[in-house]
Amino acid sequence: MAVVQDVHGHHDHHPSGIMRWVMTTNHKDIGTLYLWFSFAMFLVGGFLAMGIRAELFMPGIQILEPELFNSFTTLHGLIMVFGAIMPAFVGLANWQVPMMIGAPDMAFARMNNWSFWLLPVAGMLLISSFFVPGGAAAGGWTFYPPLSAQGGLGVDMMIFAIHILGASSIMGAINIITTILNMRAPGMTLMKMPMFVWTWLITAYLLVLVMPVLAGTVTMLLTDRHFGTSFFNAAGGGDPVLFQHIFWFFGHPEVYIMILPAFGIVSEIVPTFSRKPLFGYASMVYATASIAILSCIVWAHHMFTAGMPTVGQLFFMYATMLIAVPTGVKVFNWTATMWRGSLTFETPMLFAIGFIFLFVIGGFSGVICAIVPIDIQVQDTYYVIAHFHYVLVSGALFAIFGGVYYWLPKWCGRMYDVKLANMHFWLSMIFFNVAFFVQHFLGLAGMPRRIPDYSLQFADFNMISSIGAFGFGLSQILFLYIVIKCIRSGEKAADKPWEGANTLEWTLPSPAPYHSFETPPVIK
Amino acid sequence: MTQSVTNINVTMLKKLLIFSAIMFGFGYALVPMYEKFCEVTGINNLLQPNAVDKNIKVDMSRTIAIELDANVRGMPWQFKPLQSSVKIHPGESIEVMYEIRNMSDQEFTGQAIPSYSPRFLEKYLKKFECFCFTKQVLKPGEVRQMPVKFVIDPEIPVDVNTVTISYTFFALQPGK
Amino acid sequence: MNNTEHQTGKASTLQVAKAVFWSFLGIRKKDDLDRDAKMIKPHQVVIGGIIGGVIFVLSILTLVKVVTS
Ligand code: HEM
Ligand SMILES: [Cu+2]
Repeated sequence: MAVVQDVHGHHDHHPSGIMRWVMTTNHKDIGTLYLWFSFAMFLVGGFLAMGIRAELFMPGIQILEPELFNSFTTLHGLIMVFGAIMPAFVGLANWQVPMMIGAPDMAFARMNNWSFWLLPVAGMLLISSFFVPGGAAAGGWTFYPPLSAQGGLGVDMMIFAIHILGASSIMGAINIITTILNMRAPGMTLMKMPMFVWTWLITAYLLVLVMPVLAGTVTMLLTDRHFGTSFFNAAGGGDPVLFQHIFWFFGHPEVYIMILPAFGIVSEIVPTFSRKPLFGYASMVYATASIAILSCIVWAHHMFTAGMPTVGQLFFMYATMLIAVPTGVKVFNWTATMWRGSLTFETPMLFAIGFIFLFVIGGFSGVICAIVPIDIQVQDTYYVIAHFHYVLVSGALFAIFGGVYYWLPKWCGRMYDVKLANMHFWLSMIFFNVAFFVQHFLGLAGMPRRIPDYSLQFADFNMISSIGAFGFGLSQILFLYIVIKCIRSGEKAADKPWEGANTLEWTLPSPAPYHSFETPPVIK
Repeated sequence: MTQSVTNINVTMLKKLLIFSAIMFGFGYALVPMYEKFCEVTGINNLLQPNAVDKNIKVDMSRTIAIELDANVRGMPWQFKPLQSSVKIHPGESIEVMYEIRNMSDQEFTGQAIPSYSPRFLEKYLKKFECFCFTKQVLKPGEVRQMPVKFVIDPEIPVDVNTVTISYTFFALQPGK
Repeated sequence: MNNTEHQTGKASTLQVAKAVFWSFLGIRKKDDLDRDAKMIKPHQVVIGGIIGGVIFVLSILTLVKVVTS
């Protein structure tokens, strides 16, 4: 387990064994905990996905009763978003941000420990809600009322879990902002910060901006359920559509919270393996900020069919399409960075290029969803499912894989098995597309999302999609094997295994010592 | 182990915590903002009287059948229209009566919420009086007859011949 | 352990407006950026950004009004 090699002889005397992990306030330990937690949740969420795809393998109901199927889709979404993707990014931030800005640790080490240990509690709540009477929440990961106003104990456990996760995210974000703003080594001006740090700074601001709104939403839901308020309860003069507005006011910035750090990772990897500085660094910073601001005014593109005046539909349609402009600037900059670079295709670079390629597809299907007359057709179909898996799986998740392969040598001082890692990339790439590309067709043909059974004309594509999904799921077991093999018996890695890398963390020995940059480095 | 936390960090922590608290409040502030917004823009005014154009023209060439429907949720009330359907010409104003009866020995407060079929009827139905604009309080055993006055805008698409107006009474204090 | 990069100088309103405009598009020249980073104070960016956001929203609204009228 010990990814972090302990450098003894320091003034510290931390406990060993399990207590080391429970009590730790070291940013590297906590980063490791976040990453392992996130991977565990990824496996749980993946198991649920396999259940969903197994049920959808053929028409008819074979293995999951409709109610349980609905719980599977709901919890799959919640666990992947809040349990896998977000903690993985926070884990990467914990490991990398202090090292990249030359800080000895995070600003609030004790709070860092709390924000991590809240997560397993929330994870257990979500998982155990399957076993309570009435089962887990089944109203979708967006938990719209009236469904979420009904439902049993499982829904309350979900609400409580979201409260905890929200608190953890807010604490994590505050920690990251303070670290980045106050703890930089002398000479590390804002405009010299690596892109990963920049994107995380902006993401963290988005988090403190919208996570509290989510907390408010679930609190209202809770009081509606148990304390007689009627925010969303039509019977008492409330309005369920209001829920959708508040939820998506959080929800759309949330999707950018899940992609901005990915942009950051890709912006580190692409220059390294192109052996060129990032093209348009300043533009990248501005584009990130721009995306973050604009993301707060486009939320109702998720609600085009919920009943909205034409003026509103057009407003949100135009605003949404404009957000694609700064996103396009980024893609342009990555491409320009690679242009005439001396490229090599190590595993992180493969994932980064895969990211750029597939994220663009996801971006385009997003723009298509943003066109009101089309969205009225595809809303709540598999087309939307395809869209957001292209941006979240081949977007956020691929970037996380890329980041892990990129920094793994620094973390554990050992190299991963290159052959296997490349195989992991190609398997993921192929199976991902098999699983999700056909879902575009299913959506256009009208197959609704969140159903356990479907009419016969959808059968072939669903079978293809399920085969792809099983393949994708299995490929991730390979990832686990690669990481464990790397930690246990990988070849010794150089301090700077990638010749083109030039951020601060590569000036440290590999593995990075338990305490780094206790005396701040000097920046040129 | 103990990281000395500098003052400047703590100040920042406080600021960000306050900001988070404000955003939590903002979530709640969205509720009245939303209601105000709907009221000002007239988007969701099911429960407000419409301003009616006095010189609206009656279109004698068309007749629309209106089916009246009534439901109760969660209360021991009986609620029914006194006539199950009426026929009117678009542009003609009309009054229909509903009756509620409290079947229990307790006082109840209820609110009626309208719903229309087809859905776009909302745009063409102009109500100037309705029992749904206010809460209704019924003493044990009380009976009340209540009118709805409205016109249907002659602009309503020509292929609409039958519409349904349905009201559902909900208990305002559940469990009481 | 602290940030002292805002040195001399105060940015003009025009410069803030320009910085905000370019940030909405997401493109900025390196030199301009260096100047922005030196001259513009954080609160100026925040205020400028909010005003820029409001203008942005209003202009889309106007466009929508024109289209639907
Ligand atoms: C070019 C940028 C993008 C545009 C124009 C866009 C547009 C849209 C639109 C219009 C919808 C609503 C579709 C519907 O429900 O009918 C949607 C859904 C969604 N998008 Fe995007 N999107 C973009 C990028 C992203 C990114 C980067 C992410 C996440 C990393 C993302 C995640 C999602 C998710 C999760 C949903 C579905 C939510 C649900 O209903 O469960 N999108 N997108
Ligand atoms: Cu969105």
